Amino acid sequence: MTKRLCIYGLAVAGLLASVAVPASAADTITVASWGGTYQDAETKAFFDPTAKELGITIKQDTTNGLDDVRLQVTGNAVKWDITELGADECARGSKEGLFEKLDYSVIDKSGINPKLVHDDWVGISYTSVVLIYRTDVFGDKGPKTWADFWDVEKFPGRRALSGSQATETLSVAALAKGLPIDKVYPVDIDGALQSVDKVKGHIDAWWTSGAQAMQLVKDGEVDMASIWNGRAGTLKKEGAPVSFSFDQGVLTADCMVIPKGSKNKDLAMKALAKFVSPDLQANLPLYVDNGPANEKAFETGKIPQERIKDINSSPGNVKKQVLQDPEFWRDTLVEATEKFNNLIQQ
Amino acid sequence: MSVGSASFDHAGKPDGVLNADALRADARRQALGLLALVSPGLFLVFAVIIVPIGWLFWLSLFDETGQLSFANYARFFEQASYIKTFVTTFKVAFVVTGASVLFGYPLAYMLSQLPRRAASICLIFVILPFWTSVLVRTYAWLVILQRKGLINNWLIDLGVIGQPLPLANNFTGVVIGMTHIMLPFLVLPLYASMKTIDVDCLRAGMNLGASPAATFRQIFFPLSLPGLASGVVIVFVLCLGFFVTPALMGGGKVIMWAMRMEQATSLYSNWGAGAALGVVLLAVTLALLGLFQRLLGARATGVWSRR
Amino acid sequence: MLLSLAPSALPIGIHGIEKRFGAVSILSDLSLDVAAGEFLTLLGPSGSGKTTLLMILAGFVRANAGSIKVGGEEIITMPPHQRNIGMVFQNYALFPHMNVFHNVAFPLKQRRVSAADTRERVEKALDLVRLQGLGERRVDQLSGGQRQRVALARAIVFEPRIVLMDEPLSALDKGLREHMQIELRNLHRRLGMTTVYVTHDQREAITMSDRIAVMNAGRIEQIDQPEALYARPKTKFVAGFIGESNFIPVECRNGSVWHEDRKLRMSDPIPAVGRHLMVVRPEKLRLVADGEQAGVLNMLPATVGDVIYQGDSFICYATLRDGRQVTLRDYCRSDVLARLPAPGEPITLGIDAQDVVLVADQ
Repeated sequence: MTKRLCIYGLAVAGLLASVAVPASAADTITVASWGGTYQDAETKAFFDPTAKELGITIKQDTTNGLDDVRLQVTGNAVKWDITELGADECARGSKEGLFEKLDYSVIDKSGINPKLVHDDWVGISYTSVVLIYRTDVFGDKGPKTWADFWDVEKFPGRRALSGSQATETLSVAALAKGLPIDKVYPVDIDGALQSVDKVKGHIDAWWTSGAQAMQLVKDGEVDMASIWNGRAGTLKKEGAPVSFSFDQGVLTADCMVIPKGSKNKDLAMKALAKFVSPDLQANLPLYVDNGPANEKAFETGKIPQERIKDINSSPGNVKKQVLQDPEFWRDTLVEATEKFNNLIQQ
Repeated sequence: MSVGSASFDHAGKPDGVLNADALRADARRQALGLLALVSPGLFLVFAVIIVPIGWLFWLSLFDETGQLSFANYARFFEQASYIKTFVTTFKVAFVVTGASVLFGYPLAYMLSQLPRRAASICLIFVILPFWTSVLVRTYAWLVILQRKGLINNWLIDLGVIGQPLPLANNFTGVVIGMTHIMLPFLVLPLYASMKTIDVDCLRAGMNLGASPAATFRQIFFPLSLPGLASGVVIVFVLCLGFFVTPALMGGGKVIMWAMRMEQATSLYSNWGAGAALGVVLLAVTLALLGLFQRLLGARATGVWSRR
Repeated sequence: MLLSLAPSALPIGIHGIEKRFGAVSILSDLSLDVAAGEFLTLLGPSGSGKTTLLMILAGFVRANAGSIKVGGEEIITMPPHQRNIGMVFQNYALFPHMNVFHNVAFPLKQRRVSAADTRERVEKALDLVRLQGLGERRVDQLSGGQRQRVALARAIVFEPRIVLMDEPLSALDKGLREHMQIELRNLHRRLGMTTVYVTHDQREAITMSDRIAVMNAGRIEQIDQPEALYARPKTKFVAGFIGESNFIPVECRNGSVWHEDRKLRMSDPIPAVGRHLMVVRPEKLRLVADGEQAGVLNMLPATVGDVIYQGDSFICYATLRDGRQVTLRDYCRSDVLARLPAPGEPITLGIDAQDVVLVADQ
């Protein structure tokens, strides 16, 4: 009986082994992003054209962020050749040594904000945190600045801020104190926390996902909120009675990296070079509201003139906004987040 | 297999030890056979429970630089928010368990008194939500409970209230959503234990002069306690590790232990931060189970053992 | 006075009880009087309605019509807990979460009896059922017989007007059952409470009862003292249900009773003209020795089929002239043993005229 069990055991092990061997072909790479409409847009803007041009297959996956990359790299089981992350995650992952060095002889970095060009990561697109308010509550006299948002007497109503993105909420809180947009960074964390403390009692929800922020505003659960511009744009397109602008927005970059141990590093480098090229970058705003990281995209003429004003990273809009500094958050994020969590839980 | 295979060779042996060795060997063979039968299960338990938990514990002892340290645990005491999360988690678990008992006990009682056919139809309605994802059910509650949701709209239309009630994105919302999800976990063991209560015991109670209410209080209720206890233990322990509903219904203001684990794994570069949270939750849960067992006897934790 | 004797016993008058479950009639126009202090047994096969009647008495089942009077007071609409009737259940229905003392004290607690009184009365009741000193035992630590006694103690400790027992001994093994029958009988004699006892075991009914009501299909077939019931059954059902019976077809004509061409003598009055069945108990049949004088004996020739020796007695299966099988039982006295017939042997069976009982052939 025991002998037979052994044989079964071996058979099962063999079967598993044969399944586990990755069917890797040299001309296939796997790219992971956030899923949803954003990744659909990236597929049309970046992945499909690149695959066609390089004659390769691009497989797709979705990610939850830095911990996924960390799990793969530290567990020696890297599935992805390129993955998207938030810029502060890129900065932190870089510090932890989770990524391959990028070869800027292959990747043309011109046109990308130098703050988003690093040894092992590069910016890919922008998201903005903007102030949205419901016009059925305020008409066109809603809160326009974060100071207005903080002013609960002049603008009574229900409010939501991000509870999961401490960095964004702290930037917003700094703006609420009246700091000009070029003086926000480096953020005075304790000052920003004090600012959060002031409005804390009037926050009805601390959202933890973009979908939640959208639902809160859409269903009238709150009258004003901080929200990502993509979600805000969707709400407006759906006909929700809302208004927002890029004034005092917080511009956050997304970045792409090659996880350390990628089996198709060279091919991934070529693909990444295509993704950040002005030509493909100009495709992105055709499908979503997330603006291209490469400002040369606006010079390609691919983006319709009337669309440019709605794109958060267009030169005109960038001037109105604060650019999140990933390097700053790399070193302060953990402490700031813990303090922030501590504060909003009280 | 080996039963009855004892040999009858007793030549030259004194009576007292006739076949003693052979019988002992036979017993050992049988024991080994049984061990062989449970070994796949034992292996599985070892591979998917003991090893990962041991690993979790091991990881929790290292800080971000990979040094052996107690930093991951010290954090819980240095930062008030962890204590607060801990308190919130227990508060939610207590209130949800209480609410589940409040709604679940009468429900289980009704089910146990219904005729068999009607009871099985009603049971389907109790179990049905099991087949729907927790996420979907939680969103449904959000639609019902929020400021401009069904309940508030109705109440305002009916003129019962002037201002919407704060039912979602707060503690109340979490409790409502979680109670709905936990209810079957309480009702099913409770119903099963109520069904085993002998009708004649209740008749005897009344026959001996106890009014229906007194019969319920002195006989039915005490006899349903083992089922209630197992339901309460299941619900309470499940509540301690709950994630989805508080995350969606709490409006970011009700932070539970499991949500901190999720935060910790993305915030810290070492797994130890999250692992330590897991270890603490596991230890607290085990301690609680031990306490329940102490208080309520083995019946409570060994589900449905009476009779 | 604690556990007082007969004076507190009350008579029960049951009249016109109807019980239907949907279209099925369980009890129809059932009436029955139980005298104060009487031990009355409801005997019948399962489905005869005896348990339903007991449940109606206890108040657990609602009748469709009828009256139950206890000592003249109508109780048919009274809720069970106000009826003051003690009951012993088939499976004892002891409360598993209470010890013996609290089980027995339960009815006293409901009646707000003081603690000291309760202790005294419980102890007395446990004494009565010979469970002294077992008050602290848990129910699941007791043997079947002990549980039975606890149930009994619990049913009588509050001095109920009536005690009902629903097959209380059916779960016990044979030896214990017979022992408990006598004990219950003695207890009843001592306490004298009016008792309605349900069983399907005719031997148990005969052993214990003052009177037995034989029930069949929702009606009472016959109600009588055990001896009368056994010796003079009024229907074929009663004759067949209580003890063993040989049924021999007979005909009444011209003021006589005939089995085939033989005229039979009987001490009872001869019934109406027509076909009847003669009920003959196996032990009332005799082997008639050759040359024995007929006297008051009715003689029936037969052929031996088989003889089964049972130690103290033997059973002889014989075939009458008309091909009907009859059974004869007799004790193994040496004179009888000496002339035990062999299979196939012709014999003559004798029946005393006193033992001839006729019932209608339905």
